[in-house]
Amino acid sequence: MQYTDWFLSIFEPVEFLLVAAIVLVLAYLALEHKEIVYAAFFFGFMASFVAAIFLLLEAPFVAGMQIAVYTGGITALIIFAVLLLPRAQDSSLELFATPRKRQLGFLIAALVMILSGLLAFIFPWAESFDDAVVTISNNLNDLAMWLWSYNGVYVQLIALIMVTSMVGAVALLKMDKAEQLSEIRGEFGIEAKPDFEEAEPSSNEEVADEDSEEGDD
Amino acid sequence: MVPLSWYLVLAFMLIGLGGYGMMVKRNLIRILIGAEIMGNGVNIAIIAMSLYSPVFTFTGQGLIILVISVAAAHTALAMVLMLVYNRRYDTVDLGHPVVKEES
Repeated sequence: MQYTDWFLSIFEPVEFLLVAAIVLVLAYLALEHKEIVYAAFFFGFMASFVAAIFLLLEAPFVAGMQIAVYTGGITALIIFAVLLLPRAQDSSLELFATPRKRQLGFLIAALVMILSGLLAFIFPWAESFDDAVVTISNNLNDLAMWLWSYNGVYVQLIALIMVTSMVGAVALLKMDKAEQLSEIRGEFGIEAKPDFEEAEPSSNEEVADEDSEEGDD
Repeated sequence: MVPLSWYLVLAFMLIGLGGYGMMVKRNLIRILIGAEIMGNGVNIAIIAMSLYSPVFTFTGQGLIILVISVAAAHTALAMVLMLVYNRRYDTVDLGHPVVKEES
């Protein structure tokens, strides 16, 4: 019986440490693996293990959403980006511009990690929160009420932001086509630039006559 | 129960790793992955705070649901920006953009 209690008491910390170590290793691999396609897959796996952290934090709905959006959607988007941009797979991009830049980046990141980690350990979290009042409910009805009834306006605003960003994305993609319109020129109005300017002359006599007429003009 | 500080240390380590990727990497897709890793770290910190604090009972979870939704939108936008960058500079290297010569 004592062994069972002991096992139950250490089960959650051991589970957390295991999942956290896997998350950190996968995040490092997502940043440092030479093949960017594998890096995208490692990012997807990392997002799945972050969902496991959310389960440990008693947020199963958020964990499900994390898997649906991050593991499913965002990883697929990153892989699409890799496939659409073949230059992204160039291994020379993984070389650092200068060793000093890498060392500086590593130093700043390590400094941020150490200082914020120290803050996390030193700050008196237990005193700042009243443990007696903690009531966490996993009831999805309550969560839906909180989200849609009490804070529905913010959800609408977020939806508006998302629609704006999507419209902006489409506009950015179409911008190049708008720039190509500048090639349409003409003295008296719109005259499309002929596409056959650089075409090889054919043996057809009519085409040759037309070319000679254009030359005379 | 796992102490709050453990979750926060994990979150800060993820934020630091993502920041390292964003500062050092030249490939635009790596930089996007770094930003997403930072976002995941922030999500863990917010959810942990909401679990341990009585003030944010549902605030943390509701906020993260919105944040994850917006993350999908901003990743799509970032991908479009990468495509535009590639069209304009003919590379995805943020370090050495070369203006593509017009033919």
